[in-house]
Order: sequence, then C-alpha cells, then structure tokens
Amino acid sequence: MTRRSAALLVLLVLGGPFSVLVTMLHPAAAGQPAGTADGDVEQGRALFTTGCSSCHGLRAEGTRRGPSLLGVGAASVDFWVSTGRMPLKTGGARQAVRKPPAYQRDDIDDLIAYVTSLDPDGPPIPELDLARADLAEGGELFRANCAACHGAVGIGGALASGRLAPPLRPASAAQVAEAVRIGPGTMPNFGPDTFSQDQLEAVVTYVESLDHPDDRGGSGLGHAGPIPEGFVGWLAGLGALLLACYWIGDRE
Amino acid sequence: MSDTSRDERRTERAIAVALVLSAITALGLAVTYATGGQVQLEGFLLGLSLGTMGWALCAWGKHLLPPGPFVQQRQHPAEADPEQEPVSRLVDEATGEASTLPGGGTDTEGLDAVGRRPFLVKLLVGAAGALGVAALFPIRSLGPDPGRTLFRTSWRKGARLVTEEGRLVRAGELEVGSVLTVFPEGHIGEADAQTLLIRATEDDLRTRPGREDWAPRGQVAYSKVCTHAGCPVGLYQVESRRLLCPCHQSLFDVIDGARPVFGPASRSLPQLALDVDDDGYLIARGDYDEAIGPGFWERP
Amino acid sequence: MTRTIKRANRWFDDRLGASGFVRTALNKVFPDHWSFMLGEIALYSFLLLVLTGIYLTFFFQPSLKEVVYDGAYAPLKGVEMSQAYESTLRLSYEVRAGMVMRQMHHWAAIIFLAAIVVHVGRVFFTGAFRRPRELNWIVGCSLLVLAMANGFAGYSLPDDQLSGTGLRIAYSIALSIPLGGTWVAYLLFGGEFPAESIISRLFVIHVLLLPLAILGLLGVHMAIVWRQKHTQFRGPGKTEDNVVGSRLWPSYALKSVGFFFLVSAVTALLGGLAQVNPIWLYGPFRAADVSAASQPDWYVGWLDGALRLFPGWEIRAFGHTIPAVFFPGVLLPTVSFGLLFGWPFIEARFTKEDVRDHHLLDRPRERPLRTGIGTGVITFYVVLFFAAATDVLATVFDVSVTGLLVAFRVALLCLPPVVAFVTYRLCKEAAALPDEEDAAPVVVRTASGAYVTGHGHQAGNGGDGTPRADGLDEIGSGPRPDAH
Repeated sequence: MTRRSAALLVLLVLGGPFSVLVTMLHPAAAGQPAGTADGDVEQGRALFTTGCSSCHGLRAEGTRRGPSLLGVGAASVDFWVSTGRMPLKTGGARQAVRKPPAYQRDDIDDLIAYVTSLDPDGPPIPELDLARADLAEGGELFRANCAACHGAVGIGGALASGRLAPPLRPASAAQVAEAVRIGPGTMPNFGPDTFSQDQLEAVVTYVESLDHPDDRGGSGLGHAGPIPEGFVGWLAGLGALLLACYWIGDRE
Repeated sequence: MSDTSRDERRTERAIAVALVLSAITALGLAVTYATGGQVQLEGFLLGLSLGTMGWALCAWGKHLLPPGPFVQQRQHPAEADPEQEPVSRLVDEATGEASTLPGGGTDTEGLDAVGRRPFLVKLLVGAAGALGVAALFPIRSLGPDPGRTLFRTSWRKGARLVTEEGRLVRAGELEVGSVLTVFPEGHIGEADAQTLLIRATEDDLRTRPGREDWAPRGQVAYSKVCTHAGCPVGLYQVESRRLLCPCHQSLFDVIDGARPVFGPASRSLPQLALDVDDDGYLIARGDYDEAIGPGFWERP
Repeated sequence: MTRTIKRANRWFDDRLGASGFVRTALNKVFPDHWSFMLGEIALYSFLLLVLTGIYLTFFFQPSLKEVVYDGAYAPLKGVEMSQAYESTLRLSYEVRAGMVMRQMHHWAAIIFLAAIVVHVGRVFFTGAFRRPRELNWIVGCSLLVLAMANGFAGYSLPDDQLSGTGLRIAYSIALSIPLGGTWVAYLLFGGEFPAESIISRLFVIHVLLLPLAILGLLGVHMAIVWRQKHTQFRGPGKTEDNVVGSRLWPSYALKSVGFFFLVSAVTALLGGLAQVNPIWLYGPFRAADVSAASQPDWYVGWLDGALRLFPGWEIRAFGHTIPAVFFPGVLLPTVSFGLLFGWPFIEARFTKEDVRDHHLLDRPRERPLRTGIGTGVITFYVVLFFAAATDVLATVFDVSVTGLLVAFRVALLCLPPVVAFVTYRLCKEAAALPDEEDAAPVVVRTASGAYVTGHGHQAGNGGDGTPRADGLDEIGSGPRPDAH
C-alpha cells in the first residue's frame, strides 16, 4: 500500500489533474471468499422471495422485469450476488455495476442452494487450484480473449450502447472464473470446451497477477496507455520546462 | 576557322557523345533491372554510365571553360581582422583589385560560360535524368508485386478450423453466446486469415440470399479484420450480438451479416462459408468470396 | 593558468584565425524573452534522444525472428516472441540502467514533439514567420514532420501488441492511397502485413535516416536564425534594425547550458518515476489480438481521432475503391501540412503588407484575425486528439462511447469557428486597451555597435523602425556589428 501511495503522491505532483483519472480507474479491491454449495434451501427461498422475486418471479421463472433463473447454475448466482451487481439498484442504470454485496457469504450460499434446487443445470462454481497454474499461458489466453474488452492490464474499457467492460482488479479469483464460464451481461462465455480447466486456472492466475502489475518503470499512470502518458508529458514534462523558461527568460 | 575553335568543336562533339552514351547505358541499366537483373551487366552499365558522365563533366571543365590561372591573396589567419575586413573589401572592390579574374569574370559569367552551350546542357540534363530514373528502379526490390494477394487468404475448401492454440473445433462445441478466434489448419496466426467464430441461435440470424448453408446450427464465421483500418474486431457484445472494433469503434451487427451499424466502417465483415466434415469438425467451404479487411484501389 | 590558456589560444589562432569569428560569435546578442527558449527545449530533447538512443541500440535487436522468452519477467516465461520484443524486454529488465534509458528516451520523444508544437505556436502567433523568415518556417515545419515520423517509427520498433496495432493501421492508411496504394504499402512493408522486414527497415529509418535528416535540418534551422538574427518584441530601444538582449557569452551561454541540464533533469525524473509504454504488460504482437484503449502516442493522436470521427464514406465506382480511411488518413494530413507550410505565403498574399522585412514581433492581440484562425485551428486538432481517447474517456467518465463519438463529430465542426470568433473579439477588445509603458532601464546595442543604456519612457516607442538614440547613455563602444 505504501508503494502505491508513494506512486500516487509522485503522480499528484507530476500529473496534477490526471491523478483523478488514476483513482477512478483503481477502485479498491474487495476480496470475497469463494462460495461453497452447502447452503440451506429453505432459508434461500425466504431470502429469494423478499429480495429477488419481484423481478425474477417467485419460483425464478422470470418476469417482464427480469430473466428466468432456471438452469443458470450456481456460478451465475454467485457471480451476480457476490459482486453486488444483484439485487439491482432501483433507477435506470445501463448495466448492473459492481457494488458492496447486499448479502453475507452464508446468505449467498442459501440463495445458490435455492435457485439450483429449482433446476440443477448450468455451470457450477468452478473449483480452482491456482498453485500450479501456468501464468504465461494465462497471459497468452488473456491477451487473445479478454484484453480486447478489458484492456491489456484489465482496467476495463468502453463498449457500444453505453456498456462498459468492468475493471478486473476488484474481482476475486472465483468471480473471474465464474464470469469466464457464464459470460455475465454482454460478455461472451467460455465453456469447458473453449477453455479447459487448466486454461481457466491459467487465465484466473494471470488476472489476479494484474492486481499488482509489475510497474518497475515507476507510477503506472492508470495503465490506460499513451493517452495519460501524453498528458503527463505535456503537463509535468513540458509544463515544468515552460516554468523554467519563464524563470530564466525575460517576461517583457 | 581557327585551330582552337576546331578543337573546341571536336571536344564538344566528344562530350555530347559521352552524355548520350551515359543516358543510353543508364536506360540499359533500367532495362537490365526490369528483365531480372544480371550482376556483371549491372556493374558494367552503371560504371559506364557514371564514367561517361564523369568524363564529360571533367572534359567540359578542362577544355571548354576559361582556363585561368586566377589569383587570390593569402592572408595570415591571425592577421585577418574581422573588424577591418568588410572595409578593406569595400576598398578592394572600389579599386577593382578584388576582381582578379582575367576579363573581370564573376560567378554569373561562369554560369554564362556553361550556358553558352545549350545543346550540351540539354544533353547533360537528359543524361542526369536517365541516371536518376535508373537509380529509382531498385526501389522495386523493396516489396513483391501485390498482384491478387490482397484478394486471397489461406482458407481453402475443406480447411479445418483451429484455435490460436492449435485445437480443432468441433461442430457444436461452442455454446450460444460464445466466440472463438480461428485460423485455417496449418496457418495459425496469419493476419489475413484470422476469423471469428460465433455461435448465435439459428432463428436469429438474418441469412443473406446465397448464404443459406454457410452457418451450420448458428455457427457463423466472419473475418476478424476490420473493413475500416484493419484492426482485429475483438469485442463481442453478446446481448446486442454486435462486434466492436477497439481501434476506431466501428460496430458490426452479427445477426445481420456483420453489417456496419455505427462508426467509420462502411462495409460488412466478409463471411466465411462453413460446413461440418464427416468427423464432426468445422471446415471452410472455401476462401472468402471477397477481399477481406480495409479497402484499396484495386478492390471493386 | 591564464597564461597557458592564452598561449593555447594563440596557437589555435595562428592556425585557424578563428578568434575574429569567435569574438563576433561570443558577442552576438540574443533577445531575452522567455518564449524564445521553447525551441531550445526541442533542441535539447533531441540531444537527449540521440544520447539515450545510442545506448538503446547497443541492446536492441531489430528482428522478427521468433524466440522463446526465458528472461526475468515471469508472466512471459516460455512465450514465443520476436527478437525485437525479447531484446526490448531484456534491456528493460536485465540491462542495468536500461529501463531508465528507455523511459527517458520515450519521455524525451514526447517532450520533443510537445516543445516543437509549442514553439511553432509561438512563431505563428507572434508573426515570426514573416519575411524574411519564410524559409526557416519551412525548415521548422519539416522538422516537425520528421520528428513525428521518427516518433512513430520508434513507437513501432519493440513489436509489442500496441505498436503492432499501430503498424496495422499505418499499413491500412498506405493501402488506401488511390492508384498506387497497394504498391506503396507493399514496398514500404516488404509485402502483405505483417511482413518480415518491417522492423529492420523501421530500425534503419529510426536510428539513421530520419535522425540524420533532423540533424541536418536542425543545423540549417539554427544557421538561418544566426544569420538573420532573432526577432524581438517591440519595446523601449528595440527597433527593426537592432537586437536587444543578452550577449551569447557569458550570460546567454550559461543560461542555455543550464537549461540543457534542466531539460535533462525533467526527462530523467519522468524516466525514473513515471512508467511509459510498459510493453511487458502489452505482450508480444499477435495479428489476431488487440487490446482496448489502443492509442498512438499523443502527436499521432489527432490522426487516430480523425479516423474515428470521419464517417464511413467509401467511394466505389468503375471497379475501384477509394477507402474511407483515405480522407482522414491521407488527405487530412496532406492538407494540414500543406496549409502549415504555406501559411507565410498565404498570409502575405492576403495582408499585402509583406513587402518589407519584419524583425519586430507582433503581439497576438495585435493580429486578431491571425490569432483567431490560429486558436480555431488548434481547437480543431485538440478535438481530434481527444476524439482519439473516446474509449478511455468513456471508461473514466462512464458515458456511452458511441454518444461521445457523435458529440465529438459535432464539436469538431462547431467548436473551432466559435473559438476563433471569441478569440478574434477578445483580441479586438485587448488591442483597444492602452498599452502600459515599460519604464525599466535597458541596455541597447546600437547600429554602430555601441552599448547604451536608457529608460523605457525615454527611449521612445521604438516600435516602427525609428531608432532613437537621444536620452540614451553610451556605456562604451563594443565591437563592430556582425559581418553580415
């Protein structure tokens, strides 16, 4: 944390207005323990009825306001609820965004138990063994399949129709794996035939490594590429030199 | 007619012949290059062209221009007082001592002396032009003839689809809402062959006439090279089933033949006709039926 | 000690006779205004680029030969990549001081271009390009073009994902040229993209051809400034016939050398503290891969923005195509630079007052029309630059990228005229205000070479080429005026 704050301080001095951009691109990571599928169906039903049924229907069959959840699988429920995207905030957001989860871990497990009890199909929560995952292969897969939307360093990116590919930093390993398998929202899914278990673990490992990208060159400037570099070059670089000119040279 | 002027006429003729020879050999060099090139001939012709040009210029300067000698005073460096120099020069010029050329020749007169032979000047320009043109020919070596290469990719009839990691793609393995970058087998990573394989629901696809059997079970393949500036159209938005190019934000409708619906692109992404082989793998029915990627002059 | 120097001096003088020239040179007067140092930022950045660049060439390998990475950066271990990318990684990770050199090189390039642009702006807005300096304006604009080209070539060398995407677009732009575009692209790249030889070619272009051209033109640029003497602002004692300021030796030289160190200091600080172009995070180039937020360095940003904003008007007729890319990618830069290079002649044509030489500068407010046009044009290119960042802006401010693009199209057409008009009106207002007189004492070098001191309010307006020696105290006779 100290290294990041130091870098941020340097940036404030150097980049001025640009630091705003950096902080906006770097929401603090919120680690979430991965879900286990040993929740209580009855408690889940109660939670579902009060929290979810107004949009998804009493038996998750879907309504005009929300899609059916039959057969979406445990991974889907866990992803949407544990990232705080569900329940949706009232008000017309263009897409569900990450926010502090409304449910505790136990409650989420109960919800998963209830929804999967209605239809056991759909992808389960992926089990991950990241200890032996191939980081480099993960990088290759990430750049080939994920970087187009989320950016090479996972800071997120703009899509059409006002959609955004979210930054990956706040996501836990489990949530990344779930997203890959289910393809939440406008994201394509990558099933077991596309990404093997090994490949999934490799990608997840690489995404996790992007939480702390190797910024051996100094402050990462938000990892948003040449645009912030240009701003820093103008404001901090040329700006400082213009001040020097102004000091050395005559004013009138 | 005096001896000197007869000598001069003879020299002039020789120079003219040399310049013509220089031009001819330069053009010969170009022809040699254009017909495939030959080392000894190239060296010989280039040497002859440069040599005759060099001889002509030297002979011109030696025999046809005022011979001198001209005298210039040497000044000891330390004595050269810059404060005095302009004044002294002014004085010299006023007294006529500055112009030590016999007959008061100056720069413009030197130019005149050359310009007195307009025919030779024309020949000189011609020969230099020919040499210049011949020197341009090797630029052709920098790259191959584009020919029809921009109209072709490595996709062939029966070519199996492989992923970037080299895995064959089975028909139906892709779930609805999935996307995969594929290449023809044996040509992984080829820039112009990169293709997006997308699984849509069959009912949704608005199939173009003549493409009815190109997308077996909703598996539709489009060129991944943007028709605008050639970036990989990498962003697939499942909900709207649209492809977005991350470089310049062109948006293509996957359902409707990858038609551009927003942004600077103006042409649909070419569609690759797919089929399923006997082993259940996805194969191409042939190459793209049009040139992929950004436009160019020869593209109809 | 002094005697040794004197003797050495004498020895060289006996052989070269340079003392006269050196004396003239050391006494040469440069005007002091702070805005006259902008070109120096560019000059010193170039010097830094050469120095750091030479270091980088010791380690960089311009080859697309495939190798398997086995270096210090763990996330790429075992990945296939080109030698160009691998050697850039190696010089960043394993070569001591390699990273800081590389980053200084990149930051110096960014500052180099920024300084040139600001310098061109200063020359434009003060009318310093007018007769007799049209030629140097053209040399300067050529330097801008060469610097841009060399910046892009350097950006493309490491063969990472970002630079490869940039090259792909450059190739498409070359393809789009009517009639000969395919040939241009094939001859430039050595075949269909991504051709084998492009990196080695760009290397020669980047480290030899363009730097030599820049160096040569820089020499011409400064020789012309030397010969024509620098322009100056109107002020007490300043006329069309003199130059008022510091002598090259000692004050200007010391300040200038000091300034070189300051430019180097800023570049070094950025090179060590602010990460630039982290290619290890972008990965090696793969033709089918792409990352969100793929942008060029800032000085090519306006072209990228134009590619985004220009509508898909592809002309297809008679069996031929003029691609949409041609208009923003080829036509726009051609017209832009055409107008830039030709501006001194365009202005002279329309103002019809350019029959005499100008050595006194305009204040921007004195030329409302030129200043208005200038700010309008700058607005145009700034809008284009920001248009190149639509995806980043959309991400940061959570707005629709498609909506942003439409907004930028509108802004591109509407904002420049508005800014130009507002500037024009402001200049008119400002020009109407009375000018406050500067009463500070000044030292003036008169036409006869004498140094005189005086006070602003005494020295007359000094504005219209009317030297006024009355009220000035002679402080001793200097050397004669320069010999040209």
